[in-house]
Amino acid sequence: MFSTQLKKDNSTLFIVLFLSIFLFLTGCASHTVLETGVKSVGIHAQEIDPYENFNRKSYAFNEVLDNYVAEPIADVYLWITPKVVQTGVSNFFSNLNEINVVLNDIMQGKLLQGSEDTGRFIVNSTIGLGGLFDVAKELGLEKHDEDFSQTLAVWGVPQGPYLVIPVLGPMTTRGIPGGLFDIAANPTSYVGGIFFPVQLLQVLNARASADGDLRFIDEAALDPYIFTREAFLQYRKNLIADGNVEIEDNIFDLEDELFDEDEEISDKLNNMNNNKFNEQEERQLQQAEAGIVEADLDAKIEALRLKIKLRSANQHGVNNN
Amino acid sequence: MSLIKNRKLITGLFVFFLGFNASVYAEKTSKIDSAVNTEKALEAKDVVLLFQDTLLGVMKKGAELGFKGRYQALEPAIVKSHDLAKVARIVVGKEWKSFSQEQKQKLNEVFSRLSIASYAHNFKGFSGESFEYLSEDETARGGRIIHSVFVLPEDKNVKFDYMLKKKAGNWLIINVIANGVSDLALKRSEYTSILKREGFEALIAKISEKIDNYTNQ
Repeated sequence: MFSTQLKKDNSTLFIVLFLSIFLFLTGCASHTVLETGVKSVGIHAQEIDPYENFNRKSYAFNEVLDNYVAEPIADVYLWITPKVVQTGVSNFFSNLNEINVVLNDIMQGKLLQGSEDTGRFIVNSTIGLGGLFDVAKELGLEKHDEDFSQTLAVWGVPQGPYLVIPVLGPMTTRGIPGGLFDIAANPTSYVGGIFFPVQLLQVLNARASADGDLRFIDEAALDPYIFTREAFLQYRKNLIADGNVEIEDNIFDLEDELFDEDEEISDKLNNMNNNKFNEQEERQLQQAEAGIVEADLDAKIEALRLKIKLRSANQHGVNNN
Repeated sequence: MSLIKNRKLITGLFVFFLGFNASVYAEKTSKIDSAVNTEKALEAKDVVLLFQDTLLGVMKKGAELGFKGRYQALEPAIVKSHDLAKVARIVVGKEWKSFSQEQKQKLNEVFSRLSIASYAHNFKGFSGESFEYLSEDETARGGRIIHSVFVLPEDKNVKFDYMLKKKAGNWLIINVIANGVSDLALKRSEYTSILKREGFEALIAKISEKIDNYTNQ
């Protein structure tokens, strides 16, 4: 795949070198490289991450590579390069990637967005001096985030398990074809020879841009592996849904969890000294029912739950007697 | 290629712990003030706006306050607007039921300290960020979602959604979702995994270590 893309390149050595560095650095850099489209995160960890043991080892391996190679290089880059240059470099590669964004806009049927992104590419490539300046943003054309993994998700391709590939970093199985397409659609994949430094710079830029991210994970995560996995899967899911569907899913997951608490209350009721309908429970039920008058949904649900539990407690009591 | 995603993820995550700046309009502020003064229960939206406003104030004075000052300034605001006890219970999942009373208390205590310390650590300063209220939704089970946007002068905006639940007549924040990344879901995955793999004491030790790191940086 790579070698056919890069056939024009004169030096095989360069290809090998480039690939190994590119793959390694982007993998380490990103923690976000490829793809997914999870349903719910956290709750179904075993379904999502069946290869956790392997993944953890890969993750640890990538961490070591990053700590000893990618991070020191990125630190030097960030230290010696003025902020304005960093932004320019970042804009330049982002602009080249715009071609891929447009292709995926179209493949997902987002034609209006596709025309906006085409506009972005034209404006930034010309007035923006080859993409160094994001002039289009100033004109009100916001950047969009699209890639082939998202397109596959939109087309209904299942996400597949979460994987941490040595050197490459986090992805899901759907992200493999997704990532390969993205590489093929990026012009920098086709330059070689004297442009080799451009490819190196792209890799460096990617790692440097992720620096704050990675430091933040180090700082905030109790378990960096899980933190990275969850953030990656949730974030990708949000991208696929263009930020629209996510909340509902979260609410369901969380509220299910909240309802466990009600079960605890019920458990307590069941564990009370006797199984009979005592005064305290009755008062609780009356209070909960009073809540219905105020159209408080919580109180209503609580009342229903109490009713059911108390009824079963009563029956239980009768049976025991 | 991965650059853009990274940048947005950074921003999302960062902002998430970093800061919620509120640009509260005068009318909203006065409405909140009057509600506060009369000790009437605040609407879900006002709970969020008031909290953001406090954070904004702390951020603006961030440097002079120092970590300790920020911690002290934020503590009452966080305790008042968040249901930390419920969050602590949710993030450990089903394991909660297996804890002794002492363990539950210990978890509540360190979790509260971690929440406040991470705010205090990350709300160091202010550089023109603002926070815009978008809309409010009711969930199927009577909760509220406050949709808002964090406006970064130099970067793409970050979507911020707060989930609130009513407790004893008061709306309290139980989750913050930044660009689709849910704090509660993320912490829950981490905590349950640590409990399963390493146990309760390891979890408490890891949380305490984070608090120390925040305090000493």
